[in-house]
Amino acid sequence: MTATVSASGLHLRYGGTRALDDVSLRLTPGVTGLLGPNGAGKTTLLRVLATAVPADRGSFTVLGHDPGSSHGRQEVRRSLGYLPQSPGLQPDFSAFEFVDYVAILKELSDRTARHREVRRVLEEVDLGDVRAKRIKKLSGGMRQRVALAAALVGDPGFLVLDEPTVGLDPEQRMRFRELIAQAGEGRTVLLSTHQTEDVAMLCHRVLVMARGRILFEGTPAELTARAAGRVWSSTERAPGAKAGWRTGTGSFRNVGDPPAGADLLEPTLEDGYLLTLDDVDAEVATA
Amino acid sequence: MRRSDGGARGALLAAVARTVPWRAVGAGAVVGLLIVGLPRLLSATPDAWLGLTLLRAAALVFALGLAFLLDDPARRLTTPVPTRRWVRSGLRVALVAPVAALWWTAAVALVPAPGRPPVGAVTLEAAATAVLAVAAAAVAVRFTDEPEPGPSVAAGFLTLGLLAPLLLPARWDLFVAVGDPNWQAAHMRWAVLLAAAALLGAACTVEPVRGFRLRPAT
Repeated sequence: MTATVSASGLHLRYGGTRALDDVSLRLTPGVTGLLGPNGAGKTTLLRVLATAVPADRGSFTVLGHDPGSSHGRQEVRRSLGYLPQSPGLQPDFSAFEFVDYVAILKELSDRTARHREVRRVLEEVDLGDVRAKRIKKLSGGMRQRVALAAALVGDPGFLVLDEPTVGLDPEQRMRFRELIAQAGEGRTVLLSTHQTEDVAMLCHRVLVMARGRILFEGTPAELTARAAGRVWSSTERAPGAKAGWRTGTGSFRNVGDPPAGADLLEPTLEDGYLLTLDDVDAEVATA
Repeated sequence: MRRSDGGARGALLAAVARTVPWRAVGAGAVVGLLIVGLPRLLSATPDAWLGLTLLRAAALVFALGLAFLLDDPARRLTTPVPTRRWVRSGLRVALVAPVAALWWTAAVALVPAPGRPPVGAVTLEAAATAVLAVAAAAVAVRFTDEPEPGPSVAAGFLTLGLLAPLLLPARWDLFVAVGDPNWQAAHMRWAVLLAAAALLGAACTVEPVRGFRLRPAT
């Protein structure tokens, strides 16, 4: 499939920290998950791709537009929907007014068409009934959906979502999953998250990042397969396990290099993710 | 539907007007007027020194309100939009400028004529103070990720405003009294400060493209 977003050799330093260290990637239409521990560089990568901060080095294109010039950056921004971590909204605006404000900033000029579009995205995120309510009177989940509506307004071809389900209760998370899945139909979505279940349920591709580098790029099934034969059950915590915890049934679920004859279990995406991070930590320790 | 044209400019202006932190600006304006109105409230007649000091204090307080001008709680969400930052910041400044001019006219008028300092010179001081506050806000927006840097900028600006008269060496003195032989020279310095602050503020509202100018990754 043709890449709609591609990046090559992105570097960015904050002081002495390498926030991005030679990051290259290719995104195709659909939802791509971005997993990684805190401080991995996920938010920085998203901010660079969203043109919120410039990279020190490297190149990328979004839907054929190169943000290497002022004009190119404008074109990228016209194709972009961005939902940052803790988006912050104008609390005294109503949901409708805020999304309309963002639509104006996105250069949707015709008033009638813009209002139709704002109503459409508010309906899409299930906020049609409360569109006249002040944002400060909305719940946390509703505010997050207002921010998503603001990201979706103008029908952007590339949607960047930075941990959109943080702080939401399980029901709201399920609702958000539906919305993200819907958003991923026909457009390119990059979803940063700590929730491996979100990735397993939503994403056709997954990237794993740590220390500013992409450690893995593939399908969720391929990431899960990395843990094949490396998850096992035991009656006591296995001493050689990279991670192990007692499950509800009383037995231990261990992840790592199993002893001979171990009772192997079906791996999950989370197991594959943990082992990918662990393998890199081991490489760094060895180096 | 997409792309700005003349018809959209009004919508943009109205939308940006709603995001201006009018409360902070208004609070600075009201407290500033109270300061210069104090002699009238007390039925006192200020002398030239007091009139000048009150106007300088009022200008500083109004500038503290302006330190909040570029605060935007939704900044993280609205950073990567096609409407450029200098347009949004410029509109805020343009919206507040007439209000500031009216406010300053009222402030000067509140000082009884006998104690009123030369209006042109003190207006230059007030303009430089205001522009410096907005420039400080623009620097904060340019170099930090903080959506609402106003409180920090205002605190820093207040400290600077209070310490500057004490710490500036005599040859750079800005806060001279009416009739002081350095009055003219001090106002040349105010003019330079105004121009420098305006340039700094304008430069900081332009988003850097340089990082996007691509050098081959090694």
